[in-house]
Amino acid sequence: MEALVKLSFYCFAAASIALGAAALCSLGYAVGRVRLRRATMATSAGTTMVASTASFEPGALGVGRFATLLAWVAVVFQGLSVGLRTAAAGHLPVSNMYEFSSFFVLLATLVYLLFERSYGVRQVGAVVLPLIFGMAVYVWSLPPALREVNPLIPALQSRPLMTAHVSLAILSYATFAVAFGAGLLYLLTSRRRVGWLPSAELLDDLGYRAVTVGFPALALNLILGSIWAHRAWGSYWSWDPKETAALFTWLIYGVYLHTRSLRGWRGNRSAIILLIGFAAVVFTYFGNYVFGGLHAYGGV
Amino acid sequence: MAQATLGPRPVRRSLAELAIDRVWRFFCSVRIAIWEIAALAVLVLIGTLRGSSVPRALTDAVPLTTPLVERWYAWDVFHSLLFMALLALLSVAIAIGGALNRAPGIWAAIARPTVATTHGFLRNAETSATIASPLPPAELARRLATGLRGGRYRVLTQPRGSELHFYADRFRFARLATFPFHLALIMILLGGIVGARWGFRDTEFIVPEGSTRAIGHGTDLSLRLDDFSETYLESGAPAEYRSDLTLLRGGEPVESGSITVNHPLSHDNLTIYQASFGQAVQLRISDEAGNLLFDDALPLGPYRSAINPDAPAARLDLPPVGMALSVIAHDLDPANAPELDTLNLRPGQMYLLLRPAGPDSPITVPTGVTITQGQTRDFVGLRFDFVREKRFSLLQIAHNPGIPIFYAASFLLVGGLAVTFYFPHRRLRGIVSPAPGGGSVAALAPMAKRDWSARRAFEGVVARLEATLGGEATVERPRREPDEGRALESALPERTGGAVEAREEWVEVEPPLAPR
Ligand code: HEM
Repeated sequence: MEALVKLSFYCFAAASIALGAAALCSLGYAVGRVRLRRATMATSAGTTMVASTASFEPGALGVGRFATLLAWVAVVFQGLSVGLRTAAAGHLPVSNMYEFSSFFVLLATLVYLLFERSYGVRQVGAVVLPLIFGMAVYVWSLPPALREVNPLIPALQSRPLMTAHVSLAILSYATFAVAFGAGLLYLLTSRRRVGWLPSAELLDDLGYRAVTVGFPALALNLILGSIWAHRAWGSYWSWDPKETAALFTWLIYGVYLHTRSLRGWRGNRSAIILLIGFAAVVFTYFGNYVFGGLHAYGGV
Repeated sequence: MAQATLGPRPVRRSLAELAIDRVWRFFCSVRIAIWEIAALAVLVLIGTLRGSSVPRALTDAVPLTTPLVERWYAWDVFHSLLFMALLALLSVAIAIGGALNRAPGIWAAIARPTVATTHGFLRNAETSATIASPLPPAELARRLATGLRGGRYRVLTQPRGSELHFYADRFRFARLATFPFHLALIMILLGGIVGARWGFRDTEFIVPEGSTRAIGHGTDLSLRLDDFSETYLESGAPAEYRSDLTLLRGGEPVESGSITVNHPLSHDNLTIYQASFGQAVQLRISDEAGNLLFDDALPLGPYRSAINPDAPAARLDLPPVGMALSVIAHDLDPANAPELDTLNLRPGQMYLLLRPAGPDSPITVPTGVTITQGQTRDFVGLRFDFVREKRFSLLQIAHNPGIPIFYAASFLLVGGLAVTFYFPHRRLRGIVSPAPGGGSVAALAPMAKRDWSARRAFEGVVARLEATLGGEATVERPRREPDEGRALESALPERTGGAVEAREEWVEVEPPLAPR
């Protein structure tokens, strides 16, 4: 039991390292190289610089492939970590911020990689992988006591419902993180054409596809949460801050989906709303630090 | 010009008609819908932050904001008129703009799509394919239709001179899915209204073991606690407690079962939850003449007595004799401030106190008596019979007729979203014409303006057609921009960037006009 929990933690450590390296490689691949050309002129007074132009060049393809490979390694280790903890606790580990965030790291990396495969572009990873790595760092910063497996408090014991409810929240946050990456790159490419970034249309489509997973997932999360609240507390909606924060997030993505059918809104403004939406996700995710209420996790 | 006089006379519209038209358009506008949803989101955010420590942090940082923050705390956003009004506005907008206004158009696109197209559309499409074949036009068209149908496309054709125009689509009925989805949003609000208007919630419903209590709220239901049991962990904390209940309607049992925390009992839209439990006493009180004044279990705990604030206590009014009875039990936890316990009751003992009735009647002459389980005592002209100690169960009873609406709405919402998103309506158009030197040529293009996924789906269709046609046609593949998809990777080493592409406005995805 104890050993499983320890092993799970070591796997998480391995996954963190792989993620950090993947994030670095991904950045190296997407940012590429900046080549400064200087035209100089030799005069009797010495050398005078006449013009300087910057050209961007893509990073080496090998670096990009390596980033993908490392991210898959992170998925395997993180999958093991979550799996071992599941074995130790007897249920999917989603009951405190350590477990919740570890699961997020797993799902976000996996969702990102699936989108990468499906679209055949790696550049979005330069935004998403560092972000996921940031989450791993956050997990390290949590109080070590949370790494222990504790019995659930009675209100959290309705397991299948609770597991589905929380997993869907994590799934939606993971896909919104990918949509955020696409939105950010979209804004970059549409402001200033950067040669090796994917076309704006591809990024627009990728962001939309990610939202088409995250939006229903968040809807289902809210619904299952209501059913659970109805079972446990006798009221299916109690305007609890965590509930309303998730609703806020959902509405923002509702706005996003409508912008896509509008001339003049689709494109840049859609991408900006993706960024706002992700800010709402971050707010909902870390809301426990500022909210009281029913969703307060033990020890955060 | 002559025709103009034959056509319908220009209709002069009244002011009312114009106003209605304005209002209708207001509700139909997706642009306005965006602002409405955004406004709702802002209100939800304001309400969310109100329940957090953010406003307080704001006053700490900027003391000037204190009056503002105080008003913020005072404003119950989610029950405010503004919030309700916005929800109502949204509901109307969804009903009109999201459903009524669009239904005919969507239905037409499903049932009677325009088949004829133009060479201009095919030429200007962002992606297209050309298929040249030695087969005669009719045969090529037949093969194409077979191939498309094999890919679950519906194919409609229309001859135009020597050409054959065709339209093919897939998942056309998925376009209807936005109706159940938007309807579900209204239904959820409706469920909330129904629940609030016709439901009730009793958070402190107490039934002692063996007793029956009326549920009230206009129902003829009552609840009997047949048995109560609890198990404890080694630490002394309760591990689980269980109530065996029978629900009665007009005195007749209609449902029975056991409940624990998280496992409530439901009957119709009534749900009974286990909340907590406590101690009760079975007491019988009669007056000198032998009239029975009380014969039931009295739950202890909702009251506190000044005599020992740590001990469970109860209060009972006895109107026939103008007295109020206080019952104080033995303190369950002797570690609880023993210096406050002036009664020193033993387990199974109870302290009774009588005073004149009235909400806060002072105890001028504290006249009390200690009574033991099983004992009968006469006191201030009354006879008290302490039958035995019992448990009571604290339950929560909620009746919410909105729940079935909520469940139905959830189903429509998730199902509608899934169909809308995962079964997108894919459409393509084409023209098969005889080739100048014999044989035939077909041009195809998807209706996929600014839709990367749809273009990719089209490429799949073309590949499929190529396979069905076998060697009998040459297919010119859709144009692909090199920075798309996997092609990007192979193109990478040569690309050095700087190719600036002019960006245009997005244009609405609309079928091209059929030529006259
Ligand atoms: C104010 C009232 C509303 C109106 C008039 C309205 C109207 C519309 C219209 C016309 C479409 C179709 C767009 C298209 O065919 O491309 C649509 C799609 C959609 N709406 Fe609404 N809507 C409203 C409220 C909402 C709300 C409150 C939500 C939830 C947050 C919502 C979520 C959606 C979704 C998810 C889609 C599908 C987008 C897609 O197909 O990609 N709508 N709405």
